[in-house]
Amino acid sequence: MVERKIKTVYDVICPFCGTLCDDLEVDVDNTTEKVVEVRNACQIGTAKYFSSNPSEHRYEKPMIRKDGELQETTWDEAIDKAADILVKSKRPLLYGFSSTECEAQGKGVELAETLGGILDNTASVCHGPTLLAEQDVGVPSSTLGEYKNRADTVVFWGCNPVHAHPRHLGRYSEYVRGYFKKDGRNDRFVIVVDPRNTHTAQIADLFVQVNPNEDYELMNAIRATLRGVEIEEEEVSGVPVEKIKQLVDILKKARYGVIFFGMGLTQTLAHHRNIDTAICLIRELNDHTKFLITPMRGHYNVTGANQVFSWNTGYAYSIDFSRGYPRYNPGEFSSVDLLMRDEIDSSLIVASDPASNFPADSVKTLFKYPLIAIEPHETPTSVFADIVLPPQMAGIECVGTAYRMDSVPLRLRKVKDAPGDCLSDLEILERLLEKVKEKIGE
Amino acid sequence: MAEIKLKLKKTHKFPLEADVISTDVFAGKSNDEIKALELYLGNEVVQLGEFFDVTGKSGDANELKIIIDGDVSNVKRIGEKMTAGEIEINSDIGMHVGNQMKGGKIIVHGDADDWAGAMLKGGELIIEGNAGHYTGSAYRGFWKGMEDGIIRVKGTIGNESMLWARNSKKANKWPILYCGAAGSFLGIHNHGGTIIVEGDVDRCAGADQAWGTIVIKGSVSRKLPSYKKVGEVKEVELPNGEKIKGKFIEYSGDHSVKKETNGRLYIAA
Repeated sequence: MVERKIKTVYDVICPFCGTLCDDLEVDVDNTTEKVVEVRNACQIGTAKYFSSNPSEHRYEKPMIRKDGELQETTWDEAIDKAADILVKSKRPLLYGFSSTECEAQGKGVELAETLGGILDNTASVCHGPTLLAEQDVGVPSSTLGEYKNRADTVVFWGCNPVHAHPRHLGRYSEYVRGYFKKDGRNDRFVIVVDPRNTHTAQIADLFVQVNPNEDYELMNAIRATLRGVEIEEEEVSGVPVEKIKQLVDILKKARYGVIFFGMGLTQTLAHHRNIDTAICLIRELNDHTKFLITPMRGHYNVTGANQVFSWNTGYAYSIDFSRGYPRYNPGEFSSVDLLMRDEIDSSLIVASDPASNFPADSVKTLFKYPLIAIEPHETPTSVFADIVLPPQMAGIECVGTAYRMDSVPLRLRKVKDAPGDCLSDLEILERLLEKVKEKIGE
Repeated sequence: MAEIKLKLKKTHKFPLEADVISTDVFAGKSNDEIKALELYLGNEVVQLGEFFDVTGKSGDANELKIIIDGDVSNVKRIGEKMTAGEIEINSDIGMHVGNQMKGGKIIVHGDADDWAGAMLKGGELIIEGNAGHYTGSAYRGFWKGMEDGIIRVKGTIGNESMLWARNSKKANKWPILYCGAAGSFLGIHNHGGTIIVEGDVDRCAGADQAWGTIVIKGSVSRKLPSYKKVGEVKEVELPNGEKIKGKFIEYSGDHSVKKETNGRLYIAA
């Protein structure tokens, strides 16, 4: 028998976006342990698999900054130095966690508690406002499978899944044939509300163009119209009142509707209040028909980070352990606010790249203090780090659990071995925690 | 009246959490006992005496006045849950001043940071400068914010102030906020709070107001479409009996919450 050079792994879960597609097929070269082909994934997911192959951008050994340059070192030295930095800090910030698996996130919580530090995940700068609104007014939601099988009216508000969640439309929300929606796209009425005529808007049945940052007023007018109140103005947020009435009519006639929303709502002016009023709109629509709402989560396991942090501490993000017990207050303990006020003295960044996403002034503060990065690739954050700890990429090079955007946990698979000396995020955090405990004498 | 004077003597990089600086905690304690009280600096516990000079003499909480000097703009939680007495702060003050206060009086001769008077349950908070966001608001996830008491801010207050305010007719509790001007989403989710603004207000005042009264003597940058004009009035009577004279346009709302509502928004004509 001829030995096959290529092995194929089936039913792989894609660790890129919150859609967590679970039907990938990945071909790996047996001799070089390189990904050679990815089937079924979108372009972004495919690129992530190829990025795991050894390259000039991939860290394969722990690095430590000596004489201004990152230089290769041993795991023992890197962990020891990292623990040293964290133990000496009065207000260490542990940030990221959304692109790794749940077991590692749990270890991160334990580390933050042991250090009396601040624990935050990337929800802080993406769907954190969603969580705030959910705490204020609750959330009626469902799994994506329900939408696939039942939804006949789908609203995308402030999101552009064609580019951000490319397979969402084909798997759950627009083109897919569901159990009760056998004719796929023809069985669904798709509405897009966005300031821009996006590619998602171009394939919708109704496009409502709202002025930037004025979603709150539009939603407010929709809610009032739904209550039977006449709007005294001619147009709201750039949308004529006639069109609002038409929209309300469509929403009321739906037999099963859903609103998907993205950062167009959470990160424009009014932030969590946009979601607050969107959820209230859903509540009112349920007087007439069945309507639900689901956030389009970005990082593949940011939902998991919120879940893990919540079941460990009671709070989903922006958690302060400085008084020994968890306290929660976005705005006071959220990463960007802390950095803008210069309130940290070291940071541990796990599976995230704040330097690319945070405001410039907060990044300057981040780089002022010792920075430890657990990061597989060279990123704007890791190149300024004092210590780089290279992990295996969860879902490609090690197993773990991740939560889909609708809070369904899925088991990630391993398709190949990691290059070089990489350890899993879990093992790195375990070793770091052990060292920290040793140093503080616990 | 017994008096205790505190003076900040050391600068600090991280915010100092000083919820022990309150008349209830200081009452009946000697100055040495006060100096031994614990404050939090980052993840360290420090003693009050390390950071503050303590002079004067303590007494009964009702009869006690605490005067604070030095730059305490990064000291948080002063007067937390205080029930009686008085605190006078001769500086800007950090976050959460007078939060959940039940009685007594706090005067700030300067600006206050965010969450000043959050979830106030009684007493009076006077801020002579500006106040930050969430002044007199509910904390995250709470459905009852300010329940009683008065907040007076001379200057401007930030966004989402007086969030989830909740009155009680039965218990005769009327939370009231006076301010010079306000940011966006003033009195959002209002359930019976009274707000009087001398100047202008940013967008979405009174969003999701179930009932309550908001009087704006200046203009609103963007009135919500769900508010309906009722008519013009020459005088507004507040639930506490106070009368405000002036020409106002009366709006009812927020109609996105209820079709018929007692919620009122008055904007200067």
